[in-house]
Amino acid sequence: MSRSLFLLFAVALFALSAFASDYFERLTLTPLPLGSLLASFDFRANETITEYEAQNYRYFPRSLGQALKHADTKELHLRFTTGRWDPETWGARPWNGTKEGGTGVELWAWIEATSEDEAVEKWATLTQSLSGLFCASLNFIDSTRTTKPALSFQPLGAYGDDGQHLHLLHGVLPGEVVCTENLTPFIKLLPCKGKAGISSLLDGHKVFDASWQSMAIDVRPKCTPGVEECQMEISETIDVVLDIERSKRPRDNPIPRPVPVEQLVCDETKPYHSQDTCYPRDMVDETPWSLKEVFGRTMAGACPLAESEGPEAKSVCLNVPHERMVLIGVSGFEVKTDPGQPESRCYQLMPFEEFDIELPQQTVGTKAELGHELLRAERTITGHGAARGGMRTIFTNPSPTEPVRFVYFESLPWFMRPFVHTLKAQVTRTEFPFDWQIMNDMYYRPAIDRNRGTQLELVMSVPPASTVMLTYDFEKAILRYTEYPPDANRGFNVAPAVIRILEATNEDGQSNDVYIRTTSLLLPLPTPDFSMPYNVIILTSTVMALAFGSIYNLMVRRFVGADEVGDTKVRGLVRKVRGAIVSLKDKFRGKREKVE
Amino acid sequence: MGLIRNSISRLRKDDPRLLRIPPYLSALCILGGIVWILLLPLNEYSRQTYISENALLPGQVHTYFGGSEQNVFRAYRQELATVLGPASTSSGNVTISKKEERDWENKRSVKIQELFRNAGLKTASQHYSYTSSGETYEGVNVYAVLHAPRGDGTEAIVLLAPLKNIDNDLNTNGVPLLISLARYFKRWSLWSKDIIFLVTPDSFAGPQAWIDAYHSTHDPRTVEDLSLKSGALQAAVCIDYPFEHRFETLHIAYDGINGALPNLDLFNTAVTIASGQMGIGTSIQFQHTYTDRDSQSSYPSRLQTLVRGMASQALGQATGPHSSFMTYHIDAITLTAIGQGWQDEMAFGRTIESICRSLNNLLEKLHQSFFFYLLMQSNRFVSIGTYLPSAMVIAAAYTIMAIYLWVLSGYRVKEKPIVAVKGKAEQSGREKEGDADEQTRPAFEYSPKVEFSPLDRRLVLPITLLAAIHLASLIPLYLLTSLTLKAIPSTFFLLASFTVVLPIILASALPEMPNNTTLPAVAAPTNEQYVLIKSLSLLLLGLFLTVLATLNFSLSMFLGIVCIPLAFVDRNPGGGRASILQYLLLLIFSPTGLAAGLAAYGFFSIGRNDVLVDWLQKLAFGWDVWWSWGVPVGVLCIWLPAWIVGATLVATSWFTVGSTQENPRAVKKLSTSRVR
Repeated sequence: MSRSLFLLFAVALFALSAFASDYFERLTLTPLPLGSLLASFDFRANETITEYEAQNYRYFPRSLGQALKHADTKELHLRFTTGRWDPETWGARPWNGTKEGGTGVELWAWIEATSEDEAVEKWATLTQSLSGLFCASLNFIDSTRTTKPALSFQPLGAYGDDGQHLHLLHGVLPGEVVCTENLTPFIKLLPCKGKAGISSLLDGHKVFDASWQSMAIDVRPKCTPGVEECQMEISETIDVVLDIERSKRPRDNPIPRPVPVEQLVCDETKPYHSQDTCYPRDMVDETPWSLKEVFGRTMAGACPLAESEGPEAKSVCLNVPHERMVLIGVSGFEVKTDPGQPESRCYQLMPFEEFDIELPQQTVGTKAELGHELLRAERTITGHGAARGGMRTIFTNPSPTEPVRFVYFESLPWFMRPFVHTLKAQVTRTEFPFDWQIMNDMYYRPAIDRNRGTQLELVMSVPPASTVMLTYDFEKAILRYTEYPPDANRGFNVAPAVIRILEATNEDGQSNDVYIRTTSLLLPLPTPDFSMPYNVIILTSTVMALAFGSIYNLMVRRFVGADEVGDTKVRGLVRKVRGAIVSLKDKFRGKREKVE
Repeated sequence: MGLIRNSISRLRKDDPRLLRIPPYLSALCILGGIVWILLLPLNEYSRQTYISENALLPGQVHTYFGGSEQNVFRAYRQELATVLGPASTSSGNVTISKKEERDWENKRSVKIQELFRNAGLKTASQHYSYTSSGETYEGVNVYAVLHAPRGDGTEAIVLLAPLKNIDNDLNTNGVPLLISLARYFKRWSLWSKDIIFLVTPDSFAGPQAWIDAYHSTHDPRTVEDLSLKSGALQAAVCIDYPFEHRFETLHIAYDGINGALPNLDLFNTAVTIASGQMGIGTSIQFQHTYTDRDSQSSYPSRLQTLVRGMASQALGQATGPHSSFMTYHIDAITLTAIGQGWQDEMAFGRTIESICRSLNNLLEKLHQSFFFYLLMQSNRFVSIGTYLPSAMVIAAAYTIMAIYLWVLSGYRVKEKPIVAVKGKAEQSGREKEGDADEQTRPAFEYSPKVEFSPLDRRLVLPITLLAAIHLASLIPLYLLTSLTLKAIPSTFFLLASFTVVLPIILASALPEMPNNTTLPAVAAPTNEQYVLIKSLSLLLLGLFLTVLATLNFSLSMFLGIVCIPLAFVDRNPGGGRASILQYLLLLIFSPTGLAAGLAAYGFFSIGRNDVLVDWLQKLAFGWDVWWSWGVPVGVLCIWLPAWIVGATLVATSWFTVGSTQENPRAVKKLSTSRVR
């Protein structure tokens, strides 16, 4: 009975989705070198503006929609990231880095408001409600962590004339640890809620055992030419780089014990190779894996709400060369790309049928093209000690021919006071023989203590095959006793710098800028010892000082009778003046008393 | 309160008996300071070590390093053996050309990088070259960074294995162990901090070059930039396993440059893990060379360990590759395998693994436990609150003498005719507060035999002289730290002999100064000025020692002890045997005397005649590369000037025969020379 009801319900939903075709999901799997696997989950849903305004949500999550409406937020970008993307081994970033944030949580939004103050107020509302929605400390994004970048971000949405009332606000929580409690509300926003479709693969244990992982939510108004009404689009992506070997470990035995001697793969060409000496052989074969092994479960069929026909219906794609052997279950239907295009294959799935992919061990000659990074940036704090420090960022342009032009955006906490006069950019290594103007433009907003942080945006360009070093010095402020967090000795997080590489815009006006973020930094501040001995020392010192004061006073003061003290000139004068004042006062008081 | 006031006001009655106290008090302070240190090894005054930072949880995890990893370890050892080349002859008897050496150096760095890269880590290398005493120290550091899979790269731990340890022995097992650990750690996903695996060619210059470059405080002309970096370094553990057989115990070295120490928690973690979890004994300060394991807790061996620890702290030289890290407030220790036993390299590896797991737990930088402590056994320590008073008391001895002499220099003391009662009446008439009780006492008890007449202190000459001597002490400092190895012995000999005679020259010159009236400030010093010179010199000494006690306790303590004669020697005009004896005593307790003693010890006991030069070279290297300023500054800028002033004053005894007047005798009666 219940089963038939459910079926009926599903059929009804099917009909709906077929009618609107406003939900799309796709999982792209890309094997990376050294036994890693990039899994890109992409979910997109649309809602027409009128429906959205009328709070008539179908694919758009109601909880988020209401929060956004309440705060008058027109465009929202929320990022949860852990780990670091390793461009040297993994190549170019997924989505050109537009769908990732710095480590921790990053949030930026365009808020409609008539004034700055109103925008800030709505921003506070937005962070509070998102904080509840995503179980993250977003409510800690206060004025000191909020910036208003001028050059680094462009609205992705389509706005008519009402664009001028939009305010961009940007906040970062670099120390926030992203974990399962953030993934669960994320999955809840999806129409299939992790029960079907690709989202059924999202298991917290595996996602958060990854080498790198980024979750993104983008909400924007979108007007497609040809479609009459503009739409609100919500796009949710989860990108995970899994270490295949690590993910394949069974959950009840996750400890990477040393492999048994007989399973050790040795390089037997070594002259010293013997029973007890083994030089481990490099990974030459493609590691075997299957969805079930890597994600811990199989996919529970296609999401019935997604499109079932057309090119958008293929919800799983695999970026492997055609020669790689791939085994699939009966419930999938494989489509390989045409020759000429980058080799990959996609699968169309059936609803309610479990789906699995298996890639056996195989030696593959052709390596997949991974793309290359446009710019390498490394930011570190230099110097040591509690008073001063320096920031050093090194930009390397690996391209032998093309210069790179980019916006470098840094937001610093207020207790880190940069000296802008020490800001210096110099070419440290180059094969480019001409003079080059490194810094083209600069936007700087100084900090106000306890109120807002420093904001620095630089438009820079690096000549081909060169390394540019950007340095400046800063001073560390001393915080008030109560301003220290409980883990004061860890140091204070400094948000990652955001680099927007400026590229020529497409024909359709959409910019295809590449975003890179540096790692976040740890700034050690002068920290008092909060321990018990410290307090005892302070207390005893105070008592000692008091005791010493009075005893010293007794010892050095000369006690004489008042009549013995002769008048010096000054003292005589003082006495005369004082006498005059006293008599004057007496007179005055006498008069007043009389009056009374 | 009234009682206190009475006694205080009684004390204030310029009782000449008070003036007898300070020298005794000062001697008592010095004695007290020394006895204090001797008491520390007793159970009542030292404490059992404990883990203060709860997050460390030492030894709470299972360790898995072992099994097939040992096969890999053996292979890595074989691989490394192919590139060691002439370095394997650790004594360095084989002379090879610079170019050849550099070739081997490069081959080594390439091979180590290859091993790391095959283990799946990012690697980089760094060239450096230091010059000190005309010698060049160069090499290539190789390091690999294991990015914490879930970390944000803000924090890192360093594991270090030098190719040669501090005794210049080849670290044959340590380096392969480090690389196998790197390969093993790569498989774990639980790291919250990056782990940096560093291989340095030596234990003294390489780590310094690397850590300097990591903080960008290096000189880019001699030390290369690091191309690969990670976050803030939290701790460093150095692996030293300089032989291939199995070992018995682990020796833990913890002293840093300039006597800085790592947080006691790090040390305790290592001891707890090694002895508690792994069952490997630990020793500190080369205990294995002078005690056996059972008698480590006896008083003599505890005292010896304590004094050895203090000596190494006072010297402020590196005791292992970890020492350089301390300059940057990074806690670090070196674990050295010693002895012949049944612990294999996997046990060593598991110890390191467990330490890393503990450090990995840290949420904050190590800060909970003590940074200032003296260890007398691997599980017993005294903290700063207990030991610091000894050095402070010794420093105070000099300040007390200085104040005493200052008071003396302000009065001319006259022998008084014995009309005491009247004098007393006059005196107490000046101070009317004297209470009735005092008045009724017999007058002769209080009547002094001497009389003080206040005197203006003329400070220009003493201050000029002291400033000149202190400034001049920078000359030997500069010479000894910047000269080349060839010039050091002769220069040092010249300097030493000059310091021996300088006080006599000064002493003979001072009374000969023109007694002109145009510049009375630089006329020949009077007796009071001599007293003032000594007073100010001791004041400075006391001040320096107090400040030094907070920076490097042991150095302050040792300097305080060798300066003892300076507080108590004095002029005895008329010369005689006393002053000659005093001068001889001073010569023994002088920097020159110390150097001579060291040379003699080297010559007669070890049979080498270059011990002194070795030490000078070491100190110069420390000054140039490690910024180890303790001993050079302490000896040349604190001790030497004070010594020269003291010796000069003694030597003036021989040149001021004529100026004996009535007052110095009187001063003598009251003052120090008797104490001696």
